[in-house]
Amino acid sequence: MAKPTHKRWDFGAQDMEKILAEATSHKGESLWQDAWRRLKRNRSAFWSMVFLALFGLMALIAPVLPLASPIALSLRTEATAPSWPWESPPPTTAETPKGAAITSDFGAVMDNGWRHRSVIGFEAKGGAVDEVVGALVELVEGVTDRSPMVDRRSSEGAGQSTLYYLAVPYSYSDPAHTDWEPTGLTGSAVLHRIGDDAAWVDLVLPEGGEDPSSFDSWAVQGQDLTASLMLRAQGDRLLRYNFALDRPFAGSFAGIRVNGHLAPAIGKASEWGPLGAPRPEPAPEEAEPTTEGVTPSVTPSDEASDETIAAIQQDSFKLFLASFGERALGAATAEEDGQIVREGKGKRKVLFERRTAELREERGVVHDDLERRMTTALETFVAPAGVEVDLLSVASENGYWDINAADRFLVTVRAKVFGLWQTGNWLGTDSKGRDILARIVWGSRTSIMVALVATLCSLLIGVTYGAFSGLMGGRIDNLMMRFVDILYSLPFIFVVIFLITILNEYKLELENRFGLDREIVFYLVIGAIYWLTMARVVRGQVLSLKNSEFIEAARVIGAGTPRILFAHLVPNVLSIVIVYLTLTIPAVMLFEAFLSFLGLGIEPPKVSWGTLAVDGTEAVNPLRIYWWLVLFPAAAMGSTLLALNVLGDGLRDALDPKLRGKD
Amino acid sequence: MLRFLARRLLWFAITLFCVVTISFFMMRAVRGGPFDGERTLDPAIERNIEAKYHLDWSLPKQYLQYVGPFNLDEHGFELFGGDGSDRFGGVLCLEFGPSFKYKDFTVDQIIGQSLPISALLGIVAMMWALALGISAGIASALRRGSGLDLGMRLAATGGIALPNFVIASFLVILTVFMIPLFPVAGWGSIRHMLLPGFALGAPFAAYISRLTRTGMLEVLSQDHIRTAQAKGLAPRTVILRHALKGGLLPVVSYLGPATAGILTGSLVIEKIFFIPGLGSHFINSALNRDYTLSMGVTILFTILVYSLNTLVDLAYTMLDPRIDLEEI
Repeated sequence: MAKPTHKRWDFGAQDMEKILAEATSHKGESLWQDAWRRLKRNRSAFWSMVFLALFGLMALIAPVLPLASPIALSLRTEATAPSWPWESPPPTTAETPKGAAITSDFGAVMDNGWRHRSVIGFEAKGGAVDEVVGALVELVEGVTDRSPMVDRRSSEGAGQSTLYYLAVPYSYSDPAHTDWEPTGLTGSAVLHRIGDDAAWVDLVLPEGGEDPSSFDSWAVQGQDLTASLMLRAQGDRLLRYNFALDRPFAGSFAGIRVNGHLAPAIGKASEWGPLGAPRPEPAPEEAEPTTEGVTPSVTPSDEASDETIAAIQQDSFKLFLASFGERALGAATAEEDGQIVREGKGKRKVLFERRTAELREERGVVHDDLERRMTTALETFVAPAGVEVDLLSVASENGYWDINAADRFLVTVRAKVFGLWQTGNWLGTDSKGRDILARIVWGSRTSIMVALVATLCSLLIGVTYGAFSGLMGGRIDNLMMRFVDILYSLPFIFVVIFLITILNEYKLELENRFGLDREIVFYLVIGAIYWLTMARVVRGQVLSLKNSEFIEAARVIGAGTPRILFAHLVPNVLSIVIVYLTLTIPAVMLFEAFLSFLGLGIEPPKVSWGTLAVDGTEAVNPLRIYWWLVLFPAAAMGSTLLALNVLGDGLRDALDPKLRGKD
Repeated sequence: MLRFLARRLLWFAITLFCVVTISFFMMRAVRGGPFDGERTLDPAIERNIEAKYHLDWSLPKQYLQYVGPFNLDEHGFELFGGDGSDRFGGVLCLEFGPSFKYKDFTVDQIIGQSLPISALLGIVAMMWALALGISAGIASALRRGSGLDLGMRLAATGGIALPNFVIASFLVILTVFMIPLFPVAGWGSIRHMLLPGFALGAPFAAYISRLTRTGMLEVLSQDHIRTAQAKGLAPRTVILRHALKGGLLPVVSYLGPATAGILTGSLVIEKIFFIPGLGSHFINSALNRDYTLSMGVTILFTILVYSLNTLVDLAYTMLDPRIDLEEI
């Protein structure tokens, strides 16, 4: 009897292949594909994501955008309301310059126009001042190849001098200053210190040497300050410059720099005459430039003994040399041998505007060339009889804070693409004349940076802590979670305030010893607070996953611990971590705003949304409502945080395994 | 219940100990003292001041003096060489010592003056948050999908997404300068409290309304609500008596973090509206190195946050009998 054959269970090789092929060709949707599909279907979350992506891109390429400078202050005293792009900006001062001499409205460059500029200020006195200024404008136009703007700042009266500012747009694409070096500079310089915040320099130059007035800027350099010297050539070769510092100076002077340039002068250092050069007779009292606002009431060197003077000379020469080297000589201190009499403080400020040549050099922006050409033009200018022209100050502003190399590159790109064109005050300006639009865009960079770094920091701590605690289990887990509980019940904001107060105290040390910026530490401190919830969430997830069936199944199949960890545990934890991340970012941004409000956040001149919101809050007053200061930063911040919240909620729904495969 | 409270108390003691110890030693480790002024003091004067505030003692001794309960100086316990006129002191006796900056006040006095103000502001804010949040949440849950629901949800998300000082400045512009309803700043009458209270409570109202809406929607779809409706109860009774109880559970658990948040937020609001509360003291005292005041305020806030959290946990069990206190 033939055995019945049970074909049903008897797979042939062909059938088997077919089934296998079917099994391998069927692709299940992965968690991420499924989540992405569902997220795309959630319209509000999807558009939030698009919005955030665009906003992030804008923040990333902010330096390329033709925005006004976020920090350049203007002489304007009141905030201006937003103006439409097609509207011409309102006049800036009640007193608009008149006369044929004034080529254009200075305000256009100072307040509404190109904020990256070089400005020289001078004082003119006498009869036909306007014509003289017109000639000057032409002169400057000739040397700089661009039309300067002129502003007249003080009222004209008989015999009174009038303050003028001449501004030239400065662009990042301008060539750096290379074609000039202080040649033929010989002689000696002696630095006398008067009190804590003032000093003067005796400069002795041999007859027949180069005219010192051709060097347009001098600076006395101390440990961390640079003070400018006003140059004033006397008939004889003795030059005495008084200068005042804007704060008490306790250390020692490092020396004198010429034109803010170190490098070209290194080879010339030896030409500065021998040590202990014969001390010249002090200039007669009346020859001293009393207009500088500072007059030594005692002629101190007369009272000092010869040894002291020799010592001072030696020291100052050493210091002088040191200024061309890399490091300041710490030891030498000049004699404290006189008192200074100060006239009006405001005047002094104009006269002795602090130079930031060194800072600018660090920023890689050397626009001394433009500055120098203007100054030289003004100095060589021969005013007609009866008119006196005095150079007061030279100041350039690049319009940014200390930006890094990548951003500098972007700024150069901007200058190439857009030239001197930039947006107007479309969103108004704040009370210091800074453009709100530019501030919002630049502020978004800082805020997003804070949010990202702090959130990543919290992620790192929280995930490590939570995962470790969850994986260990038992007593260790209990202990670790109790610790988190304790931290939870602390009033955390106070810990932060405390930490940041400490941080401010140790700012210099952190920078010098560990190379840590205050800001980075600030990010880390915020991040170090937000890890608690993350740790709890991760721990809970790991605990529940650790004993789940699919992990056990994986183990039964023979998967090793690393595979279980990375192929099974991590993706499952990751979804919850991502959801939590998108919800932490808005919280961190709010926290940054909160800290800025308390004055513990980002430090000016940098700007963040927090500081902007605070500025808006501070501008609220009953006399005039500066609604744009409150509304626009709040709108930028609110919309971003809103989008982040919506995206977070959308992601939570999309990544929820319970809802998987549903819509 | 008792076991729960006892355990909580134990953890409370541990937490407080940590807070006091860490903040004490951290504070002293930071450079700069409370008497660093612009003028340098005469060394003799400085010594006297240091002696008065016991800053010349060794740190552990200062710490013991600060924590108490025994007074260690010349008026302290006879056993430690004092005359016994003032035997006890320190944090354990709720004495936080003299303020270093406000020379005529003790920390207890300062807290006594400003705590009631801050507490009142916090209560007003909490009332705003609860009243607005719960009613908005119920309304949008009942009218789910309507324009009302959408509007309220938008407002709620906006409230969460803006810092409270921005909300405050909007409110000030609107209700003080444009429509003069409230006084600008100050403290004293109810009219003074409404605006700051609202500004402080607004973000929490927003969050509470979201929680209430979710909670209510979940409860409203449950069987016992259907039963209640089926047996002919008035809609109001169904909602207020049956649905609300379950729907508010998430809100109750949020109250703990919310109070902590309101405490924090009050720092800002008090500054904007010039309210002489505790907030300014904390920041200024940390900046001024006013050791005692700073620590006093920190300890106070720790106590407040901790006890409020415990209260919330207790309230949670009252609302939901299924939750066991032993498991919290």
